This record gives sequence, C-alpha cells and structure tokens, in this order.
Amino acid sequence: MKTATEGSQAIAQAVTMCRPQVVAAYPITPQTHIVERIAKLVADGQAACEMVSVESEFSAASVVLGAAAAGSRAYTATASQGVLLMSEVLYNIAGLRLPLVLTCANRAVGAPINIWNDHQDSMAVRDAGWVQIYCTDNQDAVDTTIQAFRVAERLELPVMVCVDGFILTHLFEAIDLPTQAEVDGFLPPYRFSRALDPASPRTLGTLVTPAYFAETRHALDAAHGRALGEIAGAADAWSAISGRESAGPLRVVGDEQARIGVLTLGSVFGTLLEARDEMPELGPLRLMALRVFRPFPVEALKAACAGLSDLVVLERALSPGGGAIVGTEVRAALSEMATPPRVHAFAAGLGGRDIPLSLLPRLVAAAGAETPTRFAIIDVDLDKLAPEDR
Amino acid sequence: MPTATPTATELRRHQPRFVGLDSGHRACQGCGEALAARLVTEAIGPDAIIANATGCLEVFTTPWPNSAWRLPWIHSVFENVAAVAAGVEAALKVQGRATKVVAFAGDGGTFDIGFQALSGMIERGHDVLYVCFDNEAYMNTGIQRSSSTPHAASTTTSPVGRMREGKRHLKKDVLAIVAAHHLPYAATATVAYPRDLEAKVRRAVTTEGPTFLQVHSPCPLGWGHDGALTIAVARLAVETGFFPVIEIERGRVTAVLPIREKKPVVDYFRLQTRFRHLLGDDPQAVEERAHLQALADHNIETYGLMAAHSSPRDTVGLATVHRGGTGGGIA
Amino acid sequence: MAVLTRGADALPGSALDFRTGDWRDQRPIHRHRPAPCHHACPAGEDPQAYIARLDEGNPRAAWEALIAANPLPAITGRVCHHPCEDDCNRGQFDQAIAIHEIERFLGDAAIREDWPYPVPELADDAPEVAVVGAGPAGLSAAYHLRRLGHRVALYDRYGEAGGMLALAIPGYRLPRAVREAEIDRLLATGIDFHRHQVLGRDVYLDDLGRRHGAVFLAPGCHRPREWSVDGARPDDARDGLGLLKEWLNVGVTPAPGKRVVVQGGGNTGVDIARVLRFSGAGEVHLVTASALPDDESAPPEDRMSAIPREVAQARDEGVIIHPHHTLTRLILREGRVVGVEIAALRKLDGDDGHRRRVAFEGTETVIAADEVVPAIGEIVDPLGIEALIGRERYLRADAWGRLAEALGVFAGGDALGQAGTVTAAIGDGHRAAEAIARHIRHEPESVLGGGEPVAFDDLNRHYFDRAPRQKATVLPVAERDGTTEIERGLGHERVAAEARRCFSCGDCLACDNCWTLCPDLAVLKTRAATADGGSYVFDYDYCKGCGLCAEECPSGYIAMIEEPTAT
Repeated sequence: MKTATEGSQAIAQAVTMCRPQVVAAYPITPQTHIVERIAKLVADGQAACEMVSVESEFSAASVVLGAAAAGSRAYTATASQGVLLMSEVLYNIAGLRLPLVLTCANRAVGAPINIWNDHQDSMAVRDAGWVQIYCTDNQDAVDTTIQAFRVAERLELPVMVCVDGFILTHLFEAIDLPTQAEVDGFLPPYRFSRALDPASPRTLGTLVTPAYFAETRHALDAAHGRALGEIAGAADAWSAISGRESAGPLRVVGDEQARIGVLTLGSVFGTLLEARDEMPELGPLRLMALRVFRPFPVEALKAACAGLSDLVVLERALSPGGGAIVGTEVRAALSEMATPPRVHAFAAGLGGRDIPLSLLPRLVAAAGAETPTRFAIIDVDLDKLAPEDR
Repeated sequence: MPTATPTATELRRHQPRFVGLDSGHRACQGCGEALAARLVTEAIGPDAIIANATGCLEVFTTPWPNSAWRLPWIHSVFENVAAVAAGVEAALKVQGRATKVVAFAGDGGTFDIGFQALSGMIERGHDVLYVCFDNEAYMNTGIQRSSSTPHAASTTTSPVGRMREGKRHLKKDVLAIVAAHHLPYAATATVAYPRDLEAKVRRAVTTEGPTFLQVHSPCPLGWGHDGALTIAVARLAVETGFFPVIEIERGRVTAVLPIREKKPVVDYFRLQTRFRHLLGDDPQAVEERAHLQALADHNIETYGLMAAHSSPRDTVGLATVHRGGTGGGIA
Repeated sequence: MAVLTRGADALPGSALDFRTGDWRDQRPIHRHRPAPCHHACPAGEDPQAYIARLDEGNPRAAWEALIAANPLPAITGRVCHHPCEDDCNRGQFDQAIAIHEIERFLGDAAIREDWPYPVPELADDAPEVAVVGAGPAGLSAAYHLRRLGHRVALYDRYGEAGGMLALAIPGYRLPRAVREAEIDRLLATGIDFHRHQVLGRDVYLDDLGRRHGAVFLAPGCHRPREWSVDGARPDDARDGLGLLKEWLNVGVTPAPGKRVVVQGGGNTGVDIARVLRFSGAGEVHLVTASALPDDESAPPEDRMSAIPREVAQARDEGVIIHPHHTLTRLILREGRVVGVEIAALRKLDGDDGHRRRVAFEGTETVIAADEVVPAIGEIVDPLGIEALIGRERYLRADAWGRLAEALGVFAGGDALGQAGTVTAAIGDGHRAAEAIARHIRHEPESVLGGGEPVAFDDLNRHYFDRAPRQKATVLPVAERDGTTEIERGLGHERVAAEARRCFSCGDCLACDNCWTLCPDLAVLKTRAATADGGSYVFDYDYCKGCGLCAEECPSGYIAMIEEPTAT
C-alpha cells in the first residue's frame, strides 16, 4: 500500500522488516533519519534487535562484522566521512566473505566539508569488494534493501545500497511498503555457514602468504561474477511478491531508434526523465540509469547501447587527475563492441549542486561535439576561481 | 614398575586441561605472550569466542592453513577488536546464547590504535572480557615504541643515541583510564604468577558486563633477554613495583598482589638489553635509574604493595609449589 | 597442495602440522642427580627418594626405599651424626630438613607395623657367605647379602647382635627395645646367627674361608689404645669404652660426689660424661682438643665428632666442656688421681702437611678430680686375624672392602680405622656385600657411581616458602635418668610437615611448573611411569628449546643439552 513517507523512514521500515538482530550506527548527516527511525522502532518494541550506538563509523562496521560472523543478520548505514573512516573494515568484511547490508546515504567527501549529495563516498570504496547498487528513487531503495539481504547471504558478499543523501533520504514520496509477511516469505532466517561457534570452532581472518593470496582475490572477483545472476534472481523473486517490475542492473527508458544515450546513476535519472518529457524537441533519446555498479554489468551495458552513436555519461564524482570514474569504466566496457558509441564523460551536481532540467539539452548538445569530451565538470563556473586555480 | 612410556601423540589427547591455544604456533622461543594466551584460554574454557586484534599473537597463531586455536576465533583489523567483540556479543545476546566473548589484543591494539573502540565497548556495557597482552611495544612490526613502553626503554623508534636515550614519555596508565569507566572488574596480571592470572580470568569471565585484564608478557626478542628468563623477568617486574598487580572494581582498587621481598629496579634492568644503557655511571644513566626507582616506589606507595606479613597470596606464597602439582587427574 | 577455504578460514588445531621442534639447538632432558643428602650419606641412603615417597603419603614405600641402602633406620635415626643435614640445601634457605627424625619415624613405623624386609626366597643352591661381627657393618653386610640371594652365617663373640650398638650406646640415646626389635626383624629375614663365637677361639678364618664363598670381617675395635698423660697413668685407670660397656651391662655407679675428667670429644666421651652425671657424679669435665660442634669459627674437621645435639644435651645436663684443651699432667697421690692439669691446644698445619697438636705454655689450669677417663678411641683386637693385620692397628681394605692380602676376604666397619661411625659401617657392609656378590659370580668390578650432587644454585628457590624446621620435644633435664629415651621423635603430622619442606633436589616434584609454563605445550603430563620415572614427557616435535622449563624447575631436575645431530 502506498503511503507518503520520508525516504529515510521507509528505508528504516524495510530494514527492520528484514529482522536484523544487530544494528550498529554512528550518526552522520544525511543518514541520521534512518538510524533514528530504527532506534525508535526498537524502543517501541517493533523491532527485536540490538541497537548498538557505537562511538565511530569504523566501530559501526566492526560491530556488524562481528555480529555477522557470529551468525546474526546485521545492518548499518553511513555516508561521506563515515564511509572513508570505515573503509579499512569494509575491505576486511569483503575479504572475510561476510554477508552484510549497508545503506550509503551518498554525500560529498571533504575537504572541504560539505553535507550535500554526491557519489564521491561510495565511489571511493568501489574496490573494497562490496556489491554496490545505486537506487533511482525511494521505492527502488526499499525494494533493493530487502533484496540486498538475500543477495548478500547467498553469495557471502556484503552489499552497499546507495541512496542519494537529502535528495532521496529526506524526500517525501508515495512509497509502497511491503507487509511483514511478504518480507518473511521472501527472506529466510540467516544461516551463516562459517559462523563462530564453540561447537565447531573455526579460525577466521588468517594470514595468507604470497603462495595463496592471489587465489583469495580471484575468488572474491569470481563471486562478483556470480553476483549479477543472484541480483537478477532476487529481483525476479521480489517482483513476483511485490507486483512491481524487476529493475535489472540497468534501467533503460527511451527510443529504440535513438542514436544518443545519456547514462547516469541515482536520483538524477528522475530529473533527466522529467526533462526529456518536457523537451521533446531534443529528439529521440535513450536514458539509462546504471543501478548495479559493482559488479560492473558489461554485457547489459553493451546491449543497452546497441545502435547508439554517442553516449553521454553523467556522474556525481570524479577521480582527481584521472577524470571520470563511471565514464572511464563505461568507455572501457563499450570498447568491446564492434562499433562502440563515442563516450562523453561529465560530472555535475558535485557537493549537492542542483541539477536543473536545463542540463539535459546541454548534455545532448555536448554529444554533437567534434571531439568527445574525455571528462569535464559540466556545471563548473570558472569565474568563481582565481585564475591560477582554473 | 615402569611400563612403556606413552607417546606424546597419545598423551596429548588426555591432558587434564582445556587447550584453547595448541602447539605448532610460531612464537619465538620463550614468548611471554604465547604463554599468557595459553594460560588465559585454559582458564576461560571451551565455551567462548575470541576476537583477536592484529599483532604478534594473531600472526604467529594463524598463518593459513595452520591455526593453533581450538576456540572459534576471528581477526579483523588492528584497531577494532573491542568493536568486533561487541558485535559478537550483541549477536549472541539476541540469539540467547551464553557463550563468553573475549577480545585479545596487544598493548598497541589497546593503548593506542584500539583505544577508542575499547572505550566505546566498555561505556556501552558489553559483556566482553578484554585481555591486553602487554609486551610494552609494537613487537610484531619490529619493536617500535607504544604508549605502553616504559620510560627510558630502548625501542627501534625510541632508540638510544647521542641526543636521546630511550623512550621520553612515561608508560600510559591504561588501567586507570579503563577503571574510570567504572566497569565491574579490571585487573593487571602477569605470566610470573599463573595461578593469580587464572583466578582473575575466572573472575572476569563470570562477571557480567565489560571486564579488562592487562597481562604483563615479556618479549625475549624485544626486551633483550634469553627466552628461558621470561618468568624471571616478569617476576622481577612485580617484585620491584615496576608492574603493579592490582584489581579494580567500579573504579576502586580492591586488591593487590603484595610484594613480600622488594627488589631494586636495577635487578630488573640487568636482565634486559632494552635497559642496558641505564646501568652505566654516566649522569644520564644515574638520573634515569633514580627516576625509574622513584616511579616504582611511587607505585608501591600508591597501591600499598608491600606485604605487611607473609601470606599464601603474596609474591612468594602465590608461587609456592607442592608435590603433585595443581591436582587434576592425569593420563 | 592445500585448497583454499572460503575466506581463508583455518581449521582448529591445524597448527599441529607444523612441527616447531625443528627450531631447536638445545633440548630439555630430565636428569636425575644425587641430592646432597644422598651424596653425603656414608651408608648411601637416598633421603630425597624416601622423603618423596613419604610426602606422597606412602610411608611404607618410603621405608622400603630407605632400607634399600640402610636396614637399620630406627637405630641410625637416633645415633647417626647426620652429615646429610649438614649438606642439605634447605639449610642455605632456612633450616636443613630434620632427616634423622624422618628416618627414625620410618624405622619405628616399620617395627610397629611389622613391615617385612623385602628379600627374595632363597634358592636351594644359594651360595653361603660368612660374616664375622654382628655390629652395624656385619648386620648390614648380612642383610644386603641376604637381599642379593645369599645364605648368611653371622658370627659374634657376644650373646646378642648389635656390636657397639648394644655395648656402648646408652638407652637414653638408643632404647634397648628399639634396638632389639629392629635387629631381630633383620635377622628374621633368614640370617643364621651364631652367638658366643670368638674368632680365633671358636671359629677360624681359614676354615670359614673354605666353607663359604666369601668372608666379611667386621670385628670392630674393642682393644683400648695405650693411654698415658706425660708418661703417667693412675693405677686404677679404666678406659672410657670399657666403662660405658660396664655401665650398660651392669650399671656401674661411681660414688656420688666424685669429680671426673673425661678426655675425648667423640660420642663415647660425651656418653661417658653424661652417664657419669646420671650416675650422680658431682662434677664432670670433658676435655677435648676439638672445638664445640656449633663453633662456626672452626673448620668442620676441627670440631667435636660427637653429634651436636648430644653435646648440647650434655651441657644442659651439667657436663662442663673444655674445647681446644688437652691434659698436660696428671696429679697423682699414691697412684690415684687427685687432679689434672689442662692447657689450651690447637691443631696446626706443620711444614710436612700433617697437623700437629700444640699445647700453649702459660695457659695451664688445674682441675680437682677423682678420676680421669680416657675416651680416645680403640684399635682392632688381632685375635683370629693375626695374619691379616700384622702389627697394624686397623685392617686395610679398598673402597669395596676387599683386603689386598686375601682373596675372598672383605672387611668393614670400625676395624678399618676410618670414619668410625655406625653409618659408615653400614655403608661398608653394603658395598662389601655387592662386591662379594660379584666375586662369587666371577663378575668384573663395578665403578662407584654418584655424579655431582645438586648445588643450591641449581634450584629455583622462588617456588619455596620459608618454614621452620620441626623440633622434637626432649625430656626435661630433671626427668633424665640415664635410661629413658631423651628425644621423643616427631609424630606423624610433624614428620609430614618436615617432609613437605624437602626441595626434592635433582628429582621431579611433580609440581606442574614445567607443564604450566611451556608456551608451546611441549610438556605433557602422564600418570604412567616414564622411562626416567618422572611425571612429564617432553614433546620434541614441538619443543623449541627455549629453556623456560629448566629455568623454572624448582628441583634442578631439567637440564638443557645440545640438540643431538640427526644420525
């Protein structure tokens, strides 16, 4: 049933319906509403879990690591500085092959300190070994969070559900929350095959020498290879229960005939859709939202780009000195096509800068450039910088 | 009438003690930390889960595929063992299981990098026994100073040179800081007095809530002494007052291990090359010796460590052996 | 090749596959070395061994361990000068173990409980050995020969066995009932005792030699030494030993009020002095060239050979002792003593390396006296052994008691003129019995073993707590009558407390230190006796040779040796 709910509240409800036994959290804007809601649900007896208010983010990650290893379903949420602070533990969790779900309320990373939305935080840990999924709206966030537990527990891989800070977390939308029974039907109780148990003592977190280390890394990579299948399976199973369409690793909207595509991640997809509807004069366009970033869905992307001459990639992060992050990976993936489209890579909306509907025509225009832009921050205003800093 | 001696392999199966940490680990000869960890797990018993910080103990016990542990055990990173243990404890609480959760860390993972997580764990009241194996430096990475390194001790990052002689700063009083959380039980112990250590482990394990043990564990390599002298060195640390052995409950000292026969700190220094530079007649050495003696005397006074009379619970009585040992059936 | 687990998890105890024993360059071994008490005992007793059995709660096993060397503990516990206690390592810690009290306790327990001496059945063709002299040396030899499966024919000139034990040790030191009981039990193992047989009159050496596989001679020293003071002798002089024998036999009593001077600082001299006091003598002086037993400034060999506590009791009873003095002149009137002159004396090293006695002019004192009794030692009565002894005072034998001059003839005890103690005599008898057994079987000689005793510094004393030595109650002086035993011994509890103080030098205490302190669990505990009789086994697969066990072993039982190279 659809109710108008703040995104954070809805995510919190979804999490608690998945019956986590341990939730650990350290507050950081803009994740706070999620964890506050969970705390209230626990206090009201509507969620039977241990709420551990830790003293920092890396303890938050460590607490849920310990809980998962001990056989309890666990959850945490963070953003920005918190992601970076817990990054050592995120790598550790993936390496230990522990199932966990974490909500990243995407926010810029300082310095300078900035509390508003971009994707620098989750992009900074893209190599940690976590599955990363970018939600396009709050319904997507709710559905993805529920599926994430199943994916994580089947693969023994942790899953990061990325939700744009403020833009989604603090947005009131009509969201269809499932019932407890529906979630229970979808998500079986957590049974960790390698749980810490005196009845069957195991040693987790050993030292691995050069002789075997490469194999552990291969195994992690190979698990990501299987992840797309698991993600699709979970999505189909949930779709059967929710009645909503299965989202897939990529959401594609638009013309089969289109020659120009625009790919983005997260909530800006909605902005682009709205802009396209209001500006039919832009011609046929194929708009894509990349949902699953890790593992990177090469085949789905290639299929989605079939027939395009140009693809504009719009992301909300960058790699200083290296340029586009998503754009570079897209470019590399599409180079496998017989006739790949030209890829134009842009960043916009960094640090929460508003992305107006008028950005879409600029992106479409950029697609016509003689030389494709390797990378640019399309909404930068160089007048705001001293000459030597341009 | 002697029969054929049973083989070690057979005997191993019937030892009248719980083996939590078994043979085959790669600790140095005479390692105080290995001994301490062995004694602690023995006293804890089989119904426990251990979280272990990065450090010597973790590295020498778990080079894949060999593990010397016979308890469920997890290592995450250097600074988070208290938080990992808290997570395990939270999980077991919800699952309704009574298995004890124990955290193991060195002084590095406790006094320094892991300090925040430790404080958080205690403040939130998790039912976890935290054991710090204190060998007074970052030994695993090659004997660098930690905040637990005693004043004037030589380490690779506080070496003796023309301008500086050993660690400048004093040993951090971590027990006082832990005690300031008003947790139910915290204590120092040492490998020199295994009976005392075992009793304290049993006490901590059966106490509900966060408990803390700081176990003095000599490092032959890092401290510069023969592996055979590990107990002798640890004993002198106690008898000089250099390492006070005390118990604290809810912020108050409730018991001490009384010193029956006090020894001067130089006796302790003579056995270790990390203090070798303090034995000379140069003014610096003379002053440092006096300073360290004053610190030891200060400990004795602060905690009332001198025994008023002989007792089976003092530094002589606690070590006294009896024919037939500690009892228990034998194979 | 190992296959990776998910997350590189490892299985419990899989480190056992990694044998750290490869690291060693030295290894611990159990090494039994003689405790100083064992090393010091002239009879070869191993007090450490029997005290261990007692401390384990098995007094019978303790007694059996004790009598493996000395079959007369109820006696020696009372009369031995206990050199074991002088060397006891505990003496450097607080106070030496009262070993003699434990020995006495065990001897008395055996008599009371009638524990049989463990001797084998005699084979029909068991060889027969003759033993002449049923004093401590002869009794010991007879017992050990019997234990080694021989028939023994024991001969003595007197009506009862015991030698000096019966003849010259007063009842207040060695009660007749105890002596008789222990000796009778020993003889009851199947030793043929022929009493009232005088060698050279009733039985002859060469005849014994023909009839038996070997002969052990322990005739003792019953012939008084020539004695005079500066050439003078009283007409009615009696020798000290003779006096003592008479007193024990018939209870001679000098007239009350008599003043007596005894010369000689051995047990005989002290006993005579005390007996005279018990008989009512007014003043008894004992003059000895030696220092008092507790005189720390004098070297041990310069002190009185009498047992220290006996000397202390003598002084409590009023005997006046003049150490470092000698008789320089007798004051005779009509052939009877009316006084003696004594002077200070020291034994000094001469240029030739021998010690000479030097009396110091100007230190003379006169003591009024009615009698002077010499207790300066005896020599062997040559009757029956003229061919062996010639004009010597004593018989000469090697370490095993063999006489050079006569094959198959062995000797021991006071007759050798060496230590002259009961315990040394028992040791002589034991060694000779072993040598006789080899002689009869035509086996080659054996080497006297032993090894370095455990030194005080070989022990780790941190593991012991101070505890005072148990002291037995003694009869108050007023109640001493010359026959009632003065020392009451220690009861069961106090003996146990004393046994608990033993360091167990050179032997395993089973204290669990090594087992507790090995960081690598390479010391394993076992109840089944190991090849070295201990309670622990080293697991050399994992032992890294750190040496902690050896360092922390309280009793010095673990030694580190170089790792043997692989063969």
